[in-house]
Amino acid sequence: MSADGQRRNAPPPSAARTDPRLEQLLAHPALWRAGSAARGAVWPSGFAPLDAGLPGGGWPRSGLIEILPMRFGQGELQLLLPALASITRRPEARWCIWVAPPLQPFAPALAAAGVALSRLLIVRAPMRGRRPTSLWAFEQALGSGACDCVFAWTRHAPARHIRRLHLAAQRGNTLGVLFRTREAAGEASPAMLRVALEPRGDGARVTLLKSRGGARGALDLIWAAAAHVPQRMP
Amino acid sequence: MRVPKTLDLFAPQAPERPPRRAVPPPVQPVQMRKTPARPSQAPLWLAVHLPQRAQAADPVAPRALHSLAVRAQRFTPRISLAPPDAVLLEVRSSLHLFGGVDGLRRTMAGECAALGLPAILTFAPTASAALAGARAGRAFTVLEAGQLAGSLATLPLAALCWSPELIERLARIGVRTVGAALRLPRAGFAQRFGAARLAELDRLTGRAAEPRERFEAPQRFRRRRELSCESDSHALLAATLRSLLEELSRFLAARQCGVLALECRLWHRQAAPTRCVLRLGTPLADAARLAALFDERLRMLTLPEPVRACELRAGWPVPQPMHTGGLWQPGERGGLATAPGVELIERLRARLGPEALETLALVADRRPEAAWRAGPPASASAPAPDAGAQAAVCPARRPLWLLPAPRPLRQRRGLPRWRGALHLEGEPERIETGWWDGGEVARDYYNARDGRGRRLWLFREREPPHRWFLHGVYG
Repeated sequence: MSADGQRRNAPPPSAARTDPRLEQLLAHPALWRAGSAARGAVWPSGFAPLDAGLPGGGWPRSGLIEILPMRFGQGELQLLLPALASITRRPEARWCIWVAPPLQPFAPALAAAGVALSRLLIVRAPMRGRRPTSLWAFEQALGSGACDCVFAWTRHAPARHIRRLHLAAQRGNTLGVLFRTREAAGEASPAMLRVALEPRGDGARVTLLKSRGGARGALDLIWAAAAHVPQRMP
Repeated sequence: MRVPKTLDLFAPQAPERPPRRAVPPPVQPVQMRKTPARPSQAPLWLAVHLPQRAQAADPVAPRALHSLAVRAQRFTPRISLAPPDAVLLEVRSSLHLFGGVDGLRRTMAGECAALGLPAILTFAPTASAALAGARAGRAFTVLEAGQLAGSLATLPLAALCWSPELIERLARIGVRTVGAALRLPRAGFAQRFGAARLAELDRLTGRAAEPRERFEAPQRFRRRRELSCESDSHALLAATLRSLLEELSRFLAARQCGVLALECRLWHRQAAPTRCVLRLGTPLADAARLAALFDERLRMLTLPEPVRACELRAGWPVPQPMHTGGLWQPGERGGLATAPGVELIERLRARLGPEALETLALVADRRPEAAWRAGPPASASAPAPDAGAQAAVCPARRPLWLLPAPRPLRQRRGLPRWRGALHLEGEPERIETGWWDGGEVARDYYNARDGRGRRLWLFREREPPHRWFLHGVYG
C-alpha cells in the first residue's frame, strides 16, 4: 500500500456494520466503548489496512509500543518509515532518536523515503561493565519531552523496565518503539501495543499480538518502495 | 548674520540671548537647552568596608575581597580593591539602573549578606572620602562635592589609616578629626607632617585627582574548595561542586558568557588528583544544569582515596547568545528551539561520551560509503529541511541499513552465498567512481534475498577476482 493513509481515528471495523444513526450516536465524545478505549492522539502509520486495525487509527503519540521482527533488519524500519517521514517533516518536529541501532542507518535511503535527517539523532550505547547503557539512554530520551519518537533496539528488556519506559514515554509525550526479536513474543509485556513482523514477499505479515482497544490478528502489507525498479547509471 | 538655533546646544554655559522680538521663540531650542542640566557625571564612589576583615588579621581576607569584587562587577566595571578591608566602586552611571542610591545600597548589602560579610556602605564623590567614611563606620551618602567637607569634618583621624605616631602627634596639637586637619595651614602641615600626607588630604576632598588601580577579574575561572573532612561520599562531593558551580555561574553571568569545557579535580592525600572533564555542545552557564551533568560523571568515577579538596577549572568563556523567550512552547507551532532537546543531548553526552551521539547528513557522492557523513549534533534548532537535494543524489533504491564495512561472501560457481544460497533479483546497478580521491570503486550492486526472506544489497567487484560482498540490508 502506498503511504497515503492520513486518516485519523478510523472507526473500529465492527462499527461499519451498524446502523448509521446508531453510529452517529456512538460517536459522541462523552461515550466510551470498550473497543475504542485506547483512542488517543495518533500518528497515521501510512498503511491504510494497518491504521484500520490499530487502536485509534495509527501509532500512539505517547506511550511505548513493541515491534517484534523475526530478526533485526527484517522490515521493522519499513513499517515505521511512512510515519517517521511525516513526523520529522512537520515544521514543529522534535527530535527523533535512535538508540543503539544494530547497523549503520543509511542516510540516502532515509532521505529518499522523506525522512528529515536534521531531526534524526543516533545514539550509540556503549557497554558499561556487562550492562548496556541503551535502556538508560532510551528512558532519558523518552522522558525528556524533547523527542517525537524514540526507537531502541535491544534483546533483553525485563517487564519491569518496560513499564518504566512506558511511563517515561507518557511523561515525555513521546512515541517509544522498542524493537525486540521474536523470542520476546512469549514474555509478558506492559507495552501498549505489540506487533510481530515476518517478511512475506515484497512486504511483511503484521500480527497484532496485543493492542488495547484495537483489532487482533494478522494482515499482509506491501512496502511502498518495493515497486521501485533499480535504475542503471546513465 | 545669526547663528542657527541648533548650535545653542554646544554653548550651554552662556547661551546666546535670542534677540527680542514679538513672535515667541520656538519651543525646540528651549527643550534642547535642558539637556546639559542632567545629573552631573562627576564620579561617585561607593566604598564597601568589611569591618570584620579589618580587625582580625585574616588570611582569607584577600579572597573575600576578591569574591566581593567579582560579585560587584554586575554594578559597574570600575572597581578598585582597597586592601585589606574594602572595595571601591564608581557607580555614578549605574545609579539609574539600580534604583538610585537607595536601591543600589540595598542590592549591594544583599550581595554582601549572601557572602556572609557584614559591610558598611558609604557614598562619596571621592574614593578616599568614601573609604574614610566607611572605615569610620559612617554609612553616609554625599552626592555632590560641595557637601563633602561637612561630612568629612567629624571623622576621626584614625579613619585615614595613618600611622599611630602621626595621629598621636596631631592629637598633641589638638587635631583629632579630619575637619581639624583640613583647617590647618597647608604649607605648615606639609612641612611638619610631609607633603605626602597633604596630598592624601587633597585627594580626600577632591582637590587632587586620585588615580586608582582598576580591578581586573581573571579571565578563566579557577576555584578550589577544601572539604570539611576527607570523604568519598557522593552527596558531599556533589554539594561542594554545586557551590563551586554556582560561583562559576555568577562569574559567567557577569561576562554574558558560557563555557564549553570544565574540569573538576578531586585532590587526595597521596594519590594523584582524580580528573573529571566535562565537554559541552553549546556554551552553558546554568549552575543547576552543569551540576546535573557533573552528577552523571561523578557517579561513574572510581576514587583511589577519599577526597580532601575539590577544584573547578573552567575553559575560556565563550560569548553566549542571549535567548529570547518564545511565545510558543517547544513542540507547538513555531516553538522550534527545544530547550529540553539541548538538555537531553548534554545529559546523554555526559554519560555516554561525546562520540556516542551523531547526526546524519548527505554528501553528493555515488559511493554508498561516502554518500553520508556522521557529525555531532549542532544544536536543537533545526536547520532547513534538506529533503530537496536527495533526488539527484539517490535515484535508485537503497537499503535502509548499511554494514559498517562490506563483508566478503563465500561463493559457489560464481554466485554468492551467505547462510545459504542467495537469490539475485532485478538488474544490477553499476557504481564506478571515485578515481580522483584514491577511494576508487568499480562495483555492480545487486538486490538479493536470502533463505529467510531477508532482502540484502550485494556487490560484485568488477576487477578480476570478482569477489562478492554484502553491503546493506533492506530492513
